[in-house]
Amino acid sequence: MGAFLVKRLMFAVVTLFAVLTLVFIVVRIVPGDPALVILGDQADAQAIAALQKRLGIDRPLFEQYVSFLAGALRGDWGTSLVTGRPVLVEVMAVLPWTLELTAVSLVLGAVIGVPLGAWAAINRNRMPDYFTRILSLIGLSFPPFVSAILLLIGFALALRWFPVISSNRGTPWEWFQSIALPAVNLGLIMAAYITRVTRSAMLEVMQEDYVRTARAKGVPWRVIVWRHALRNALIPVVTIVGLYLSILIGNSVLTEIVFNRPGLGKLIIGALSQRDYMMLQGMMVIYTLIVVVVNMLTDIVYAVVDPRVKLA
Amino acid sequence: MRKTWLLGGAMAALLCAGPALAQKTTLVVGMQTQDAGVLDPHLNSGTPGKALLNWMFNGLVRIKPGQASPDQIEPDIAESWTSSPDGKEWTFKLRQGVQCHHDGGEFTSEDAVYSLNRAANKDSSTFSSDYAAFDKVEAVDKYTVKITLKNAIPSLLGQVMNYHGGNMVCKKAAEALGKDGFGKKPAGTGPFMFAEYVPQQYVKLVANPKYFRGEPKLKEIIYRFIPSDAARDLALQAGEIDLMIGRQEQAWVDRTAKTAGLKVVAFGPAEMSVIHLNMTQPPLDNIKVRQAIAHAINRAGIQQFRGPAISRQAVSVVPSGYFGTHETAPLLPHDVNKAKALLTEAGFPNGITLKAIHTTLPGMMGFMEAVQAQLKRAGINLDITPVEHPTFHQQIRQDLSQVVHFQAARFPIADVYLTQFFHSRSIVKTPTAVTNFSHCKVADAEIDAARTEQDKAKQVALWKTAQEKIIAEVCAVPVNEMLMLWAYRDNLDLGYELKGSLNLGPPVTENTRFTR
Repeated sequence: MGAFLVKRLMFAVVTLFAVLTLVFIVVRIVPGDPALVILGDQADAQAIAALQKRLGIDRPLFEQYVSFLAGALRGDWGTSLVTGRPVLVEVMAVLPWTLELTAVSLVLGAVIGVPLGAWAAINRNRMPDYFTRILSLIGLSFPPFVSAILLLIGFALALRWFPVISSNRGTPWEWFQSIALPAVNLGLIMAAYITRVTRSAMLEVMQEDYVRTARAKGVPWRVIVWRHALRNALIPVVTIVGLYLSILIGNSVLTEIVFNRPGLGKLIIGALSQRDYMMLQGMMVIYTLIVVVVNMLTDIVYAVVDPRVKLA
Repeated sequence: MRKTWLLGGAMAALLCAGPALAQKTTLVVGMQTQDAGVLDPHLNSGTPGKALLNWMFNGLVRIKPGQASPDQIEPDIAESWTSSPDGKEWTFKLRQGVQCHHDGGEFTSEDAVYSLNRAANKDSSTFSSDYAAFDKVEAVDKYTVKITLKNAIPSLLGQVMNYHGGNMVCKKAAEALGKDGFGKKPAGTGPFMFAEYVPQQYVKLVANPKYFRGEPKLKEIIYRFIPSDAARDLALQAGEIDLMIGRQEQAWVDRTAKTAGLKVVAFGPAEMSVIHLNMTQPPLDNIKVRQAIAHAINRAGIQQFRGPAISRQAVSVVPSGYFGTHETAPLLPHDVNKAKALLTEAGFPNGITLKAIHTTLPGMMGFMEAVQAQLKRAGINLDITPVEHPTFHQQIRQDLSQVVHFQAARFPIADVYLTQFFHSRSIVKTPTAVTNFSHCKVADAEIDAARTEQDKAKQVALWKTAQEKIIAEVCAVPVNEMLMLWAYRDNLDLGYELKGSLNLGPPVTENTRFTR
């Protein structure tokens, strides 16, 4: 286990370094001048040049790269070009919001998706199966910003059960109210994915020899499904959940904007439209870290779920 | 028994008084942005920042709340002012007892001098070039400020009003916090004071109890960042916000105005859409081609397309209502046949193809597509390359687009628009570049002469001539003006009639309140 972790950590460091370099180059290749964005459309050429100098973006690229890497190693991600606040402070201020939304959506997705997928599989080509398949297809094909607006119109405007601006915190009730709709919006998409994967994995497992043997020796059907089949079917589900976690974070961008919830997604869109190089760099590194950590966790969970996998 | 009755009566009275006690004193505003940026009035030039900063800062003078015309200037921190006959020396007498926010002490001439010098310094101000004509700013005594100019300028008062660099900052706070710190905790003298900033969520302001015009009726303003148009609309309908910036769409206005309890207001300064034609590039170097383009564009049709209630037809190369605009300028009329004939005369009987780099912003793109359709009828193909907004701004300044659609409002004096868009000093890709995309230089003499002319009638006549020359040369085709749109709940009384706001958002004054 220890050797496995060290190996994965080394991979993670190499990946991070590659991403740092790539991000540094990519954000500067994109046309658009942060100084012009900050100064507005009335700025004259001299004012733009003065601001570029003040921001340090007029320096040679290599010099900027070296100071960026040196800063990154010291844990200094620089200062946002637009707000003048440290990148790390801005990111850390909103990171918990994104993590919280992602975690709740994931749990919601799993709680809905796994039983639904199993139910569809054991009722293959019957009504429950058709019903579940159509439902998950709808879930997969619905753009998150459309479902978000529909949820708001229904539950926030017509029924007034939840607020439109989902950024309250304080009492547990307020927390629940502000996370419910965004989490349902993302959770349903996740549930759709998980339902489909669970269904197909279950179908495959149900045809295995050991399931037939269990049935032959008279093990009750419920025990076969829940203990023998589902546990094995969950292995690919865990992989998919790990992979889709990054998609979930991507989808959270749109969800955060429509529900007006703070988060990494909103931060990255703002940084992109304002060409805030420093912020973009910091954000990309955080995203990469999340993906790397999630992949590592997926591998570990794999071993827990499937004893045949050895962490060596 | 009697005691019980008394108690019951008191409780009933309290219950009846309930609604009056519960009258709202917190104004929640929805702004289309991810963040308001640096909260320093001398650095922030974006719409979200300007609207907010306007509630915290004063100028030496101001335009009356709800107005946008410079002829509505009235005293603000200064109670009176005089100028020398040649317009080079200005003396301002300050009010006594104006207090800086957060117990920062009295605002005196020392603060005013500091503030204007700060606005004129390119290291601390985005607007330093506006103060290029300033020679020195002095504190004559505690309540008198004297400004000496190198040369007279069209509107000195415009440089010392509550707009851009004219916003007065308090010296003690600005020096103590430094440039970076001040942008996070600004201190002015206005009706509302900075209280809290929460990233991606809101800025909170609280009433300034020592405001020199009296304590504001509202206690608090929550300025929420809500980038999604749909979410802002829904939040307003649900009563979670009271005032919001709208969409520049007629359909939005119609829908919102019909919603019970909501009001929509359209106000100036209007942003004018102008098609700038790069006269250095063929075939646009041929005046007949440029005239053909001007004849091919139907301003009335575009106004119908953009919405008659939220837009109006352009009248000149300077937006209508500015001081010095030629309101009856000889713009070329819509005439497709004339356009075709001119193209033939220019040697292009089979039409021409022009290239335009254009922003993907939906409102501006819709306009450009309508213009594209109109030009097509005259045999002019417009190839539009859509790019993201920051890319658009960079590339048009690199002279990469033959045709540039620019939509902008400026300080409402003809000099600003004429200088930035049509003076040769402002030609793009030059060291003094601003936004002259057409490479126009036919009216330099008139624009320069008008800037220092002290006789107002002569000054206006010079600007009129400049506009006529630019129109005759067809450096650009002015098409349409779009008004600012905001919506608010009908129980909000702004305290004035909203006809305009230079800071692009409704002023929230000491008199703004909820009626219920």
